[in-house]
Amino acid sequence: MTDWLIGLTIGLPWLGALAVWLVGDKREREQHTLAVIFAVAAGLAALALIPSYGDAVELRFEVGGFFGDFTFVPDGLGVYLAAIANVIGALAVIFSVDYMDGENALGRYYAMILLFIGAMSGLALTGSILLLFIFWEITALCSYALISFYNDDPKAVEGGIKALIVTQLGGVGMLIGALLVRAYLGDYQISTFLSRYGELPENTLTIMAFGFLAAAAAKSAQVPFHTWLPGAMEAPSPVSALIHAATMVNAGVYLLARFYPAFEEVSGWTTAVTIVGLVSAFLAALMALVSDDLKRVLAYSTISQLGYMVYAVGVGSVFASQFHLFSHSIFKALLFLSAGAVIHGIGGERDMKKMGGLGRQMPFTRNVFIVGALALMGIPILNGFWSKELILEHGLEDGPAWAYAGMLIGAGITALYSFRMVWLVFFDVPRGEGHAHQAGQMMRIATGILAFGALTTWLLVGSFGEMLEESLPFHGLHVHAGTTLIEDIITAQATLIALGVVALGLLTWWLRGSLGWLANGLRFVGTAASHDFGFEWLNRQIVNITKSSAESLRATQTGHLNWNVLGIVGGLVVVLAILALGA
Amino acid sequence: MEDMTAFTWMITLPLLASPLIYLLGRLVKQDGPIVSHWAAVIALAITWVPFVIAAKELNDSGPQTYELGMITLRLDDFGLLMAALSLGLGTLVALYSGPYMSAESGQEKYYTLLVIMIAVMMGLGCANDLFNLWVWFEGMAISSFLLVAFYHEQKPSLEAGVKYLVQSAVGSALVLLGISLVLGQTGTLVLDDIRAAAADSDILLAAGALFIIGFGVKAALVPMHTWLPDAHSQAPSGISAMLSGVVIEAGLVAMLRALGSLAGVSDSWGELLMAFGALNMLAGNLMALRQTQVKRLLAYSSLSHMGYMLLGLGVAIYAKESAGAEGGLFHMLNHGMMKGLAFLAAGALLYTLHVAAGDHSPLTISDLSGAAQRYPLTALGLSIAVLGLGGLPPLAGFMSKWQIFVAGFDTRETWIEALVVFAALNSVLSLGYYAPLVNRVYRLEPSEIVRQGKPMPVLMTVPTAVLALAIVAVGIWPDLLRWITEPAGKALLAAFGL
Amino acid sequence: MNDLEILIAGVVALMGVGLYGLLFTRNLIKVVVALQILVKGVLVAMTAAGEASGQLNLSQTLIMTVIVADTIVAVVGLAFAVQVKRLFGTLDLQALSNLRG
Repeated sequence: MTDWLIGLTIGLPWLGALAVWLVGDKREREQHTLAVIFAVAAGLAALALIPSYGDAVELRFEVGGFFGDFTFVPDGLGVYLAAIANVIGALAVIFSVDYMDGENALGRYYAMILLFIGAMSGLALTGSILLLFIFWEITALCSYALISFYNDDPKAVEGGIKALIVTQLGGVGMLIGALLVRAYLGDYQISTFLSRYGELPENTLTIMAFGFLAAAAAKSAQVPFHTWLPGAMEAPSPVSALIHAATMVNAGVYLLARFYPAFEEVSGWTTAVTIVGLVSAFLAALMALVSDDLKRVLAYSTISQLGYMVYAVGVGSVFASQFHLFSHSIFKALLFLSAGAVIHGIGGERDMKKMGGLGRQMPFTRNVFIVGALALMGIPILNGFWSKELILEHGLEDGPAWAYAGMLIGAGITALYSFRMVWLVFFDVPRGEGHAHQAGQMMRIATGILAFGALTTWLLVGSFGEMLEESLPFHGLHVHAGTTLIEDIITAQATLIALGVVALGLLTWWLRGSLGWLANGLRFVGTAASHDFGFEWLNRQIVNITKSSAESLRATQTGHLNWNVLGIVGGLVVVLAILALGA
Repeated sequence: MEDMTAFTWMITLPLLASPLIYLLGRLVKQDGPIVSHWAAVIALAITWVPFVIAAKELNDSGPQTYELGMITLRLDDFGLLMAALSLGLGTLVALYSGPYMSAESGQEKYYTLLVIMIAVMMGLGCANDLFNLWVWFEGMAISSFLLVAFYHEQKPSLEAGVKYLVQSAVGSALVLLGISLVLGQTGTLVLDDIRAAAADSDILLAAGALFIIGFGVKAALVPMHTWLPDAHSQAPSGISAMLSGVVIEAGLVAMLRALGSLAGVSDSWGELLMAFGALNMLAGNLMALRQTQVKRLLAYSSLSHMGYMLLGLGVAIYAKESAGAEGGLFHMLNHGMMKGLAFLAAGALLYTLHVAAGDHSPLTISDLSGAAQRYPLTALGLSIAVLGLGGLPPLAGFMSKWQIFVAGFDTRETWIEALVVFAALNSVLSLGYYAPLVNRVYRLEPSEIVRQGKPMPVLMTVPTAVLALAIVAVGIWPDLLRWITEPAGKALLAAFGL
Repeated sequence: MNDLEILIAGVVALMGVGLYGLLFTRNLIKVVVALQILVKGVLVAMTAAGEASGQLNLSQTLIMTVIVADTIVAVVGLAFAVQVKRLFGTLDLQALSNLRG
C-alpha cells in the first residue's frame, strides 16, 4: 500500500502533466479541469501517505551499474515535505484556474507545474543521493521554464536563466558530494552514507559538507547565491507561491536537515551554516524593507525566513527548522497567492507605491493577507509565531550570542516591513488608477484554505515532532510532546524577548514620522540594501567577464586557412614537446 | 579467401549497393531522386540484418575475424559500437534526407556518398592494422569532403569544403608519417603485433604524437578544430548530423585504435587525452556562447562534447579501469543521438523556414521565435536534444556525463576530481546557450518567418521522434545501452593491452 | 651519409617545403601543390621505413595505395579550386575567409 502511495504521489502529477499537454492549448476548459483533478488527487495521495511514515517499505528499482538502486523511502522528513509540495501545489493549481484564465500556452504552464510537483515529491521521498540530485535538477528546470513563462518579456527570460545558472552552479557542490559517496562507499543510498560516513577521510567529508552547503544555499536563495530569487518574481504569482516560496526553495534547508547527522561534527560546518543563515536573514530583511515591488518584498522576505531555517540547522535544531519550514510554506504561499490576487485585480501592477487603499475594494483578500502577514511577523497565535519562537529559543540556548542578537533584530525588521507592506497595499490613501476587481471564487478557495492553515497548523506540532523523532534513526531527535512544547514556548524567556522586539519593530513604524533623524542616520544602509548590498553587481561582473571572454575568444576563429594549418602544426609541436619533457 | 561472414556483409552490402543507387538515380527518367532515396534507405535497412547477426555472433563466440590476403578485419565490441552508431544514425539520416534534399540536383551522388560513408565508418571500426585503418579513414574523409561541399554553388559551403579538405589532408599526412615511423621501428602494422613489439623509443613516442594530432584533426581536438564549425554548419543538415554525431567520433575511434598499439610506449596517453578534453570543453562552450546561428552553435557544442568523451577515455587509459571508457563510449552513443537529433530538428526548421523557400541563408536563433506554435513536435525534439546536451536529467546526456564523472572520482586522485568538477561547471556554462535556445522556440509570439513557414514533411518528423524517444528512454533507464557500452569499454582497454 | 640518412633528409626537406607552403601560400592551387609535396615527403618516409625494417614489400603496397587515395584528394581539391575560381572570381585564400567567429 505504501509503495503504491509513493508511486501515486510522484506519478499522478506527472501523468497529469502529460494529460494536460496532450489535450492541447485549444481546449482550455479541459486543461484547467484536468490539472485540478490530477493536482488534487496527488495532494490526497500525499496526505494519505503521511500515516505510513517510518514504514520499512521502500520502493526499489535496481538500475545497477554506475547508477546504483533508485529507492524511495517514506520517512517523516520525506512524507511531510511531499505533502507540502502536493497540497500547496494543488492549491496553487486551483488558484491558477482564475489567475491564468485566458492566458496563452496553458498546456506548458500546467505541465511544468505538475512536473514540478512530482519532481519535488520525488526529491523529498527518494533514498538515493543520485536520484536526489536528479530531482533537484528537474525542479530547477521547471523553475526556469516557469520563471520565463512570459518569454516575450526580456526580464522574464533574464530572470529565468539567472535562476537556472545560479542554482546549477550550487548544484555542482551536491554533485561532488554524490560522487564522493559513490567513490568511497560504493553506493548512493542516503542511509548507507549516514551510517557509514565515518569511513570517509576527514577532508573528503569536509569537502562534501561544504559542497552540500553551497548547493543548499543556491537552492534556498541564501547569501551570496540569493540574487536569483528576486529575479524569479517575473513568474506568474501561483508559481512564485508554489516554487519560490513554499517548496523548491525549501529543498536546500531540507538537504541540510537530511544530512545534518553526518556533517555536524565537521569542523566549522555548523558555524558556517549559522553565519549563512544569519547573514541571509538579516540582509534580506533590510532589502525587503526598502523595496517597493510587492512581489520582491515577499521574495526578500522568503530569503530572510529561509535564513531562519538555515540558522536553526546551524544551531543544531533540525526540528525547529523543519517546523518553521512547515509554517512558512503555508503563510508564505498565502501571502504570495493573495498578492497575486491583488496584482491580478489591479491589472498587473506590482509597485506598492501605486496601490494603497485596496482593502475596501477587496476585503476578502485583505483579510487573508493580513493573516499571512501576522504569521510572518510572528504574532501569537499564528503558526509563524510558534515556529519562529522555537528557532529563537534554541538559538539562545545552543547558538552563539551574537548570532542570536542578529536574528532577534531581524525579527524586529520583519515586523516592520510586514506592516509597511500591509499598510501600503491595503490601507493608506489610494494611489492607483481605476478600479480593483475582487478575487475570483477559485482564488478565494485557495487563499481561504491557506489562511485557515496559518491559523491552525501549529496545533500539529506534537504529532509532527513525534513523526520526525520516530522515523529518523540517524538524527536522534528528542522532541517533547505537543502540549509540553507549547508550554515551553509560552514560558520561555526567548519568547518574551522576541515579542518585545517585534513590538519595537511595530512601534518604529508607528513613530516613523518622529524618527526621521534615525532614518537619516541609517540612510546609507537603505541605499546599500536597495542595491542588494553589491551582490547583484558582483553577479553582473561575473556574467560580463564570461561573456566578454567568450566574445574575445571568437577572434581565434579567423577563417584563414593558413592560420588553421598553424593550429595543427602548433598542436603537434606542443604535444611533441610535452612528450619529450614528460616521458 | 574465406567465406564472407555476417560482419563483412555488413560492410560490403552498402558498398555494393552504392553504385546501384547512383545508377538507379541516373537511369530512372522521371523519379530518379526518389528512387535513389528509397534505394539508399532500403540498402541501409537490409544492412541491419547482417548487423544483428554479427552482433549475436560476437556475443556468442567473441571477436570475429576475416582474412583477405594481407588484410585482416576484426570485429570486436568496440567496432560493433562504432557500427551501431554509424548505421543507426545513418539510416535515420537517409530517411530524413528525402524531403530535405528534394529540391537539389545531383541527389543520386548524395545518397551514394552517404551510403559509402556509412559503410566505410563501419569498416573503420573493424580495422586490425594501421594501414587498413588509414584506408578506411581516408575513404571516410573523401566521401565527407564531397558531402560537406554538396551545395557547391553556395559560397559558404564551398569555403567550408576547401578548409575541411586541406586540414583533413594535412592530418592524414601526419598519420601516414606516424605509420611510417611505426613500420620502420617495429616492422609490422598489425595492431596487436605492434603492441607486442613496441619498446620504449623516442620514435614511437613521436608516432603517438602524430596519431593524436593527425586523427585529432578529424576528431576536432582544439586547436586542430578550426574546420569543424564551418563544415558542420554549412553541410546539408543530414550530413551535419552525421559529421557531428558519427564522423568526429570515428576520428576518435581511429585515434584510440592507433594509440592502443602504442600503449606500452608511454604512460602519458591518458593524461594527454584528458588535457585535450579540458581544452575542448572550455573552448567549445565559450565559442558557442555568443553564436547567433543555430547550426554553428551546435557545431561548437560538439567540441565540448568531444571533450567529455576524451575525459572519460583518458581516465580509463590513465587509471587502467574500464569504467571511464564505458562512460566515454556511452557518451559517444548519446552524443550521436542528441547531436544527431539537434541537427536534424534544427535542419527541419531550416528547411521549412528557409530551404523550402529556396533560401540558403543560415538559420539564426531569432528565426526560431515561437517555432513551437507551428511545429510542436520538431520544437520538442530540438528542446529535448539541447537540454540533453546540456546534461539535464532525466535525459541521456546526463547519464553518460554522470558515468564519466563517477569514473573520474573512482580514481580518488585530486587532480582528476578537480577536472571532473571543471567538466561539471562547463555543463552549467553550456546551459547559458542551450536554455535560451529552448526558450526562444517556445516564445508566445511567433516570428514573421515562422508564420510564413512551410508545412513539416512527415519523413523529417519520424527520425526526430525516434531519436527523441531514445534519448528520454536512455535517460530514464540508463542501463539500456549497457549491453553494448560495457563490452565495448572492455574491448577498448583490451586494445590497450590492459 | 648512408642511404637511410639521405632518405630522412629528403623527408624533412619535402615535408618542410609542404608545410611552409601550407602556412604561407595564399593561392589555393599552390596549397594543393603544397599538400602533394607534403604527402610525397611522407611517401619517402615510408620507403625509408620499409628499408629500415626490411619490409619493403609491405611499404610498397602501402605507397601504391596512398598514391591512389592522395590523387583522389588532389582531384577533389582541384575541383574545389575550379569552383572557387568560378564563384569567387579569384583563387586568393583571403577571399575564402568569410566564415569566422
